[in-house]
Amino acid sequence: MPELVGRDELVAMLRGAVREIKENHEILSALDSHGGDGDHGTSMVRAMEQIEKVLEKASPEEIKGLLNDIGWAVMGIDGGATGPLLGSLFMGMADGVEGKSSLDASALAAMFAAGLARVQKRTRAQVGDKTVIDALVPAVDALKEAVEERGGIAEALERATDAAQKGALSTKALQARFGRARNLGERSTGEQDPGATSMALIFRGFWKGNVEQ
Amino acid sequence: MKKFLNDPANLVSELLEGFALAHADRIKVTEKNLVVRANPKAKDKVALVTLGGSGHEPALSGFVGEGMLDISVPGDIFAAPGPPRVIEALRMANRDAGVLFVVLNHAGDVMSADIAMEMATKEGLNVKTILTHEDISAGTRDNPEDRRGLAGCLPLIKVAGAAAEQGRTLDECLAIAGRMERNMATLAVAVTGATHPATGEFIAEVPDDVMVVGMGQHGEAGGGTQKMKSADETAAVMLEALLDDLKIEEGDKVLVMINGTGATTLMEQYIILRAVKRLLDAKNITLARSVAGEFLTVQEMGGFQMFLARMDDELIELWDAPCSTPALSKP
Repeated sequence: MPELVGRDELVAMLRGAVREIKENHEILSALDSHGGDGDHGTSMVRAMEQIEKVLEKASPEEIKGLLNDIGWAVMGIDGGATGPLLGSLFMGMADGVEGKSSLDASALAAMFAAGLARVQKRTRAQVGDKTVIDALVPAVDALKEAVEERGGIAEALERATDAAQKGALSTKALQARFGRARNLGERSTGEQDPGATSMALIFRGFWKGNVEQ
Repeated sequence: MKKFLNDPANLVSELLEGFALAHADRIKVTEKNLVVRANPKAKDKVALVTLGGSGHEPALSGFVGEGMLDISVPGDIFAAPGPPRVIEALRMANRDAGVLFVVLNHAGDVMSADIAMEMATKEGLNVKTILTHEDISAGTRDNPEDRRGLAGCLPLIKVAGAAAEQGRTLDECLAIAGRMERNMATLAVAVTGATHPATGEFIAEVPDDVMVVGMGQHGEAGGGTQKMKSADETAAVMLEALLDDLKIEEGDKVLVMINGTGATTLMEQYIILRAVKRLLDAKNITLARSVAGEFLTVQEMGGFQMFLARMDDELIELWDAPCSTPALSKP
């Protein structure tokens, strides 16, 4: 279990996220057929394929450049809001690692906080609106708390994963206030938000990718 | 689902290939799947660019051509294109005269457009945005952010495109588009559902004996389910809501567009339009111009969008100006 996240460790985390989404994409599409058009899993798989492409070609050595390239590639999937939101997360993470070649737990938390900030520039959705924010905000908060309590990287990522999962589950009871599902009104309750669910999977992939190193 | 398709992964590129063949005299498709005019507009005139999901043919790429759009950036089925192709289109369109960027209010479209616009600003491109959000079922007039952009983008692109063709400045084109936007409203009704061509899943299901007023263009519900009504009764319900939203008064001049969403026959659309004319006559409102047909479809969804706009003489003149696009032509 690495105590620092450098380029190789970051790549392992990214590959973990790719695996997690690819294994669960059918669940995401099924959830999306409730309030959207049933293609969130497909869009997410396309986004993951973009990440793989960046990792496979001679991608930048600097982690900032790598995250930037991933963000831009993910934005290019032409999959509605999924590309811009997920792409913004990675591009924000790139902002958060300026000048760094490896990250300790606190720098890792700062990286995700910068990712969240960039996502929040793209959407006014708050926790409780049944969106990706319901998983992302608790995950970033949990990372920060773990670091404040002097937890290591693996522990921090595990806590973020749990928090994201809990956040995704909480969306089941919520009424959608953004995106296409908003138009369903009260009928949007009863199923998890697909965007929050995929974000929880991504954090689980980051954690698994980190501890399996 | 019973549709003539191949591998869903190639759906958009295959449809664009055919679209380019069918309308080779007016448009062509670039390597990056941007739809551009076959005969580009003079560089000293304002260019119009838009973006949006596919699966709504002929929208939005069908509005590319003389008198309307210069470039359309088609996305995946019902999904906005990502910022990389959007900024590419804005760079391609960029010119001293400027670019009017028409964005329909849907979450993905707005996000992609915003990111591309931030980049355009940084790069010093001369682009101004107009957002269309005229769907009255999704929010009140004071909450425009909740209102989706429906088929009203067509008349807006028509009048702004005509202004650009006449050599008006970017600010003038933007002002005309803005005036159209403030004075237009759309309401949709669905009677039968539709399937997502890539997944085969129902995007909307409508029970046999009802109609859903306020159905969005991806099948998302937005309004009231009511018992199926006759053409005249349906026209009355919808027109009343639109007139009320726009506060149209006796003596006003209006443009009406009946936009079939896929499975409602042109016959029915004409019957609805005739009903609208009679209702307007009775209220002493002038039906200045009208049009019916399939401009922005939702696959095989049965139903239509009723569009209404308060028109002034200049807007009517711009609506009447010549255009030649796959979806709409005027001599």
